[in-house]
Amino acid sequence: MARGLTRAQLGVTDAMLATFGDIVFRMSHNLQVREGDPVRRLDWEAIERQREAMGLADGQIAARLGLTRQQVMFIRNSEESRRFRTGQQAYLLDLGGGRRFRAEKVVRLEERFSYSADALRLRDTFRFDAALARRYVERGWWGNDTLPGWLARNAAARPDAPALVLAGQVVSWTELQQRVLRFAEGLRSAGVAAGEVVAVQLPNIPEFVIAYLAICRLGAVMTTLHMPYRGMEIAALARHSRARMAICLGEVKGSSPAAAFLDAGTKVVVVGAPVPGALAFADLESSSPLARDWPAPVAADPFVLLYTSGTTSAPKAVPHSYHTLLSNARLSVPEHGLSADDRVLSAAPFTHLFGLYALHCAWACGAASVLLPAFTPRDLAELIAKERPTALWTAPAHIAAARAMGLLEGERWSSLRLAIMSGSACPEELVRDFAARVPRCAVTQLWGMTETQAGLYTRPQDAIEMHARSAGRPSPGTEVRIADGGELQVRGCLLFPGFYDNAEANAGSFTPDGWYRTGDLAVMHAEGSVAITGRVKDIINRGGMKFNPADVERLLDSHPKILQSAVVPMPDPVLGEKACAFVTLRDASQSLTLEELVAYLLQMDIAKTKLPEKLVVVSEMPLTPTRKIIKGKLRLP
Amino acid sequence: MEGAKQAIFEYCRKHGALAAGVADLAACERIAPPGHRPRDLFPRVKSVISLGVGGQTQGAWQLPAKAMAYSGSTEARAYKIAYGLAFFIEHKFGAPSVYVPPDMDPEAGPRVPLQSLKLHAELAGIGARSLAGDILLHPQFGFMYYASVYTELELEPDAPMQDNPCPAPSCVNLYRQTGRTPCMKFCPAQCLSGEVDAEGRQKMMRYDMAACAEFTQQYEAVPKILAEAVADEVRSAGGERLLDPDTKMLWYKVSAGSGAWFAQCFECMRVCPIATRAPQADPILRRKA
Repeated sequence: MARGLTRAQLGVTDAMLATFGDIVFRMSHNLQVREGDPVRRLDWEAIERQREAMGLADGQIAARLGLTRQQVMFIRNSEESRRFRTGQQAYLLDLGGGRRFRAEKVVRLEERFSYSADALRLRDTFRFDAALARRYVERGWWGNDTLPGWLARNAAARPDAPALVLAGQVVSWTELQQRVLRFAEGLRSAGVAAGEVVAVQLPNIPEFVIAYLAICRLGAVMTTLHMPYRGMEIAALARHSRARMAICLGEVKGSSPAAAFLDAGTKVVVVGAPVPGALAFADLESSSPLARDWPAPVAADPFVLLYTSGTTSAPKAVPHSYHTLLSNARLSVPEHGLSADDRVLSAAPFTHLFGLYALHCAWACGAASVLLPAFTPRDLAELIAKERPTALWTAPAHIAAARAMGLLEGERWSSLRLAIMSGSACPEELVRDFAARVPRCAVTQLWGMTETQAGLYTRPQDAIEMHARSAGRPSPGTEVRIADGGELQVRGCLLFPGFYDNAEANAGSFTPDGWYRTGDLAVMHAEGSVAITGRVKDIINRGGMKFNPADVERLLDSHPKILQSAVVPMPDPVLGEKACAFVTLRDASQSLTLEELVAYLLQMDIAKTKLPEKLVVVSEMPLTPTRKIIKGKLRLP
Repeated sequence: MEGAKQAIFEYCRKHGALAAGVADLAACERIAPPGHRPRDLFPRVKSVISLGVGGQTQGAWQLPAKAMAYSGSTEARAYKIAYGLAFFIEHKFGAPSVYVPPDMDPEAGPRVPLQSLKLHAELAGIGARSLAGDILLHPQFGFMYYASVYTELELEPDAPMQDNPCPAPSCVNLYRQTGRTPCMKFCPAQCLSGEVDAEGRQKMMRYDMAACAEFTQQYEAVPKILAEAVADEVRSAGGERLLDPDTKMLWYKVSAGSGAWFAQCFECMRVCPIATRAPQADPILRRKA
């Protein structure tokens, strides 16, 4: 248009635009050339000669080209708009204040980083209730905590203090930071970008920690695979997580995780012996450090994608941002009574959130992490005796196993001031016994989920009764309630936003008012502590009589011949469901009959409707990495 | 006539102008293109008065580009003085006068003004064209914004400046070492190039105004952004309407013309020794002088 006239009224065609667009643009004032200083000198000959080079008005161009002035106006405006690139002022915004434009440093906007479709898909999971998010920020729960930020802070405040301790080897905070930055550069050069998922399947070794922090430094996201996982699980999780790279061992107990990842089409970085087709961890770590100004992640960024332990159903992917997990760790450190002087040991694997929580708490306060590559009762006891940790993250099964081998005796555990037991239901007797054997150590319980990290825990100063009989009170920033039917529900600054790429799971997991249905059964005591009593999905419905098998299991576990038990429903044509007890025996050479079991339970004054009606003795239970029985894998004969 | 001129200059000085002068009307008429000559706007014009304001503290030149873009412009001060000056001449000398509208004429060409304030200032001897895209510079006052008044009062015209302060000796030195003056080197749009002769004077100035505008004249982005927002890839009649010169004026008025958006980036002036170290731009130094 020009002066309100349309293209048709002006007689401008696409052909005319194509023919004259360039010359009109060039003849106008868009490109100017001046020789000498003719106007100031009033050099009339030069002024006239240079008129065209200095740019012509539309009317002058029209006269030169044989077009109407309105046609030139239309063509020029169209051509200018076609050429005009928007957003160019963005280049200006970093200038000034002593910073000058340097052509060699300019990266064109269209060539600058953008998140991949997969990364955006993951980031899109992070939708929180706006009012709750505002509350978390206003209360100071959500800040800008990030793991790279904490690492930098600890390296600056305690450069020579130990960050990692492993078999006599000490890695200082400074050294850890340097190794992380070098490996981050190695990952970057191997193609890892912000927002991408990197799978890690490693024991609790320094390489795990370095990989974790380096992934975070790049703004990427770590997903963990538990060490027992093999080809089928690796393929499934690599596919679901859309991992761009995996960091793993070349060989584990005759199997090759590296080969499994390579088969799944994932790039692999291997720790230890070289594997054809895989990059070597050591090679990546020998890179020069990541550039200081490489964009650091922020607290709203996702940084882990963890799969639930999946005891009752197929694994579900739980994404967390720094907001959720690090606010929980930061707020919990004073509750656990931890400080920079502590030495934190996790018997739980770092591939599980409970193990990561040990790292998060240690890093929140600058404490050292004592590394136990893989749990055996003897290795745990010897490491504690040698490296003298002050805080222990452990599952009840770890302590039970150590006790069964007589490893709790003597002074070897005397360095402990705090033990946090979690991962599965903790027998009351075990807590009391452990506390009695390590009298200077507060034996606490913690309840958490991959979806929440640390939701409930007892505090070191609590009475032994509370430690033994409950999972404690909510962590700061956490709210819990017991819904009708006894289910524990939770919300707060620690809560994940929802499952990744699993609308079906999300639909049933949250109440309309935003509470997460944990699936755990619980009771709340008068003083506000919460005891976990079982799983909603474990409830057995025997002809309309519903009962929680946890009570039966607790009694079975006290049987002198039984090491572990699990009571699950079995189909019955009349009653719908009946109880079936799976057990492992302390002494495999002994035998146990259903009659013997029933007689024992009846002695304990249990309702007959809860009695197991079938007994299956197995050599070992299917266990999660935190030693929780995976009931879904127990198969009825 | 001389007394009137002195009274006018005194008015300008008292109201904050750094410099004022009278441009040769005949030269203006001869150089400006048809439709943009003083008589096209004000047929009985006898004199063209140009005045300049400006002056930045040393600190101002260190501001981030965004702040400079929003706060560096002082043209409104020049317009205010010129607006008052037109009334002053009418009251004092009874000669009809007009403050020359400083806006663009989108019907004339890209970023073409209704009347060229730059031409007036140059002919009035209060600025000379620089290698930085023809921005006018003054050896004592540096980088100024200009405003003009047309009046039926007849005034003796001034001559253009005897010497051009651009390029400064330090800029000539850099040019001889690198082939570029500071404004050419540090322009974020890389829209400036040129040549300096053996005597250290301007030989050639090249200015890609379209590239410069992409960085600074953000009102020009509005129609394209709107067209993109409605995914108007094929230029519909509605999309073309966005480019209509009259509509373009609207974008200008709601953006750069309102003083709210980028209109300059100042990076060439930030590195210009004439702009940043002009001794008389500083009112304290000026008073001492």
